[in-house]
Amino acid sequence: MMDIVLMETLAGLAGLEKALAEFPEDVAAAFRQAGGHRDVMRAPEAPEAEPWPPMQAGDGL
Amino acid sequence: MAADAGGGRAVSAALHWLGASEAVRAFAAKTVSPVELLTALLERIDRLDPALNVFIRRDDQAAMAAARVAEAEIAAGRIRGPLHGVPVGIKDIIDVAGLPTTCHSAVRAGHVAAADAVCVAKLRQAGAIIMGKLSTHEFAIGGPSFDLPFPPARNAWNRDHHPGGSSSGSGSGVAAGFFPLALGTDTGGSIRNPASACGIVGLKPTYGLVSRRGVFPLAFSLDHVGPMTRTVADNALLLDALAGHDPQDGGSAVAPRGHYAGRLERGVRGLRVGFVRHFHETDLIADPEVAAALEGVARTLAAEGADVRAVTLPTLGEFAAVNRIILTSEAWSIHAPWLRARPGDYGQLGRQRLMAGAFLQAGDLMAAQRRRKEMIAEVEAVLRDVDVLLCASSMEPASRIEDAEATGRTYPRQARTPFNVTGHPALAMMAGLSAGGLPLSVQFAGRYFDEATVFQVARAWERAAGTDRMHPSL
Repeated sequence: MMDIVLMETLAGLAGLEKALAEFPEDVAAAFRQAGGHRDVMRAPEAPEAEPWPPMQAGDGL
Repeated sequence: MAADAGGGRAVSAALHWLGASEAVRAFAAKTVSPVELLTALLERIDRLDPALNVFIRRDDQAAMAAARVAEAEIAAGRIRGPLHGVPVGIKDIIDVAGLPTTCHSAVRAGHVAAADAVCVAKLRQAGAIIMGKLSTHEFAIGGPSFDLPFPPARNAWNRDHHPGGSSSGSGSGVAAGFFPLALGTDTGGSIRNPASACGIVGLKPTYGLVSRRGVFPLAFSLDHVGPMTRTVADNALLLDALAGHDPQDGGSAVAPRGHYAGRLERGVRGLRVGFVRHFHETDLIADPEVAAALEGVARTLAAEGADVRAVTLPTLGEFAAVNRIILTSEAWSIHAPWLRARPGDYGQLGRQRLMAGAFLQAGDLMAAQRRRKEMIAEVEAVLRDVDVLLCASSMEPASRIEDAEATGRTYPRQARTPFNVTGHPALAMMAGLSAGGLPLSVQFAGRYFDEATVFQVARAWERAAGTDRMHPSL
């Protein structure tokens, strides 16, 4: 069940009031997409796991 | 496999099926001139493009002027480069000086590019002739759509089906014989999807190998520019022209430029090929025709002397989630001002997909980037034991373009995002034809900057299967 209040609050914080007024179904679809991606991803457990790209000077990959 | 030579004529006699390598040889031998080739292609586009919508903007006058100059220079023995006189189409998120870069969107109305993108400038230096700008999904993400300022491109094999995307005009135009070469871009599979749907060869090079300067960004850390062609040899030839460090592109790598066609005909004897079966057998369940085609590719490579073995990578679901969290976060940072002020100027699919980044948080993005680095390490570990990966590209042939439900359901059923997440080079090409006459696809991926080995394996499959001689009837 989608949390409509949360969706509308986050949309407002993102400055999407106009989109929310004119295209509420599209804003809701975007909210669901973001949640779906977040649910599937498994965040690293190791605190020392650094992000990509590596935090070092170099020649790229 | 069915093959068609184009209206029953022999392929060798049809100028529109000339590859870039063949065209260059024909120009040198004076059996065909650049003007003759371009004239034949423009006549074909006049006749067929009203049904395919490959072009957003043709630049016939400039192209013909360039062809005349090329013809005179070649006749005088002044060869500018390896693509001298060869026509090429450009995806319309890539700048060509003096032409609009519409990104297939009303948001970009009135835009005119002041300068060529670096990749276009390199093509001109190599002697290529720029034919115009090609259909895409809106901002390389929103499509196929019917609510944009230009109609969506359709598949040259059957115009009732989509041609893949987002480099949709590039894929369909190459397949249709409108041009032998095209540029595409690939952030979550946008070169390899149309290559798969249209039965051509599409390469996403190693991240950083080809400059992105002058290309409208979708997601900075996932964007790639790459070649789309009808043959593996032409793909290597085009990559030769495109590759190279660009100090003004923050993602550009300093890497030795390869002679990418150098090992094309060496075959695969002794090469170790890792078959990622779980992508299409358990992560997603591929259409039986796709699964059978992939088995056929594996058997053929083994028969040619490759050591084909099963390997395991992270799951497609997780690759897709990491890709989408990074992609939509980066894209939101670009589109937020327009989405706030003028959301109605976007098509519905683009609006939905680009707004998703508004609902992700900094922690989500950093977690995805951290997981990305772990996934890179996992793929690198596998690539220490094998030379090339073999896997699915699309899990089924292209659906009908006007069936939005089928397109929405099948577009994400793919195995291309892993190599945007990791940055490894990956090539998609035809694996056969479905019973319905649509292309099936296969994907090969390799080590960083080892496109030459990817081409070597792809060429072995192409030679064995004859996919370079298979064209749609138009």
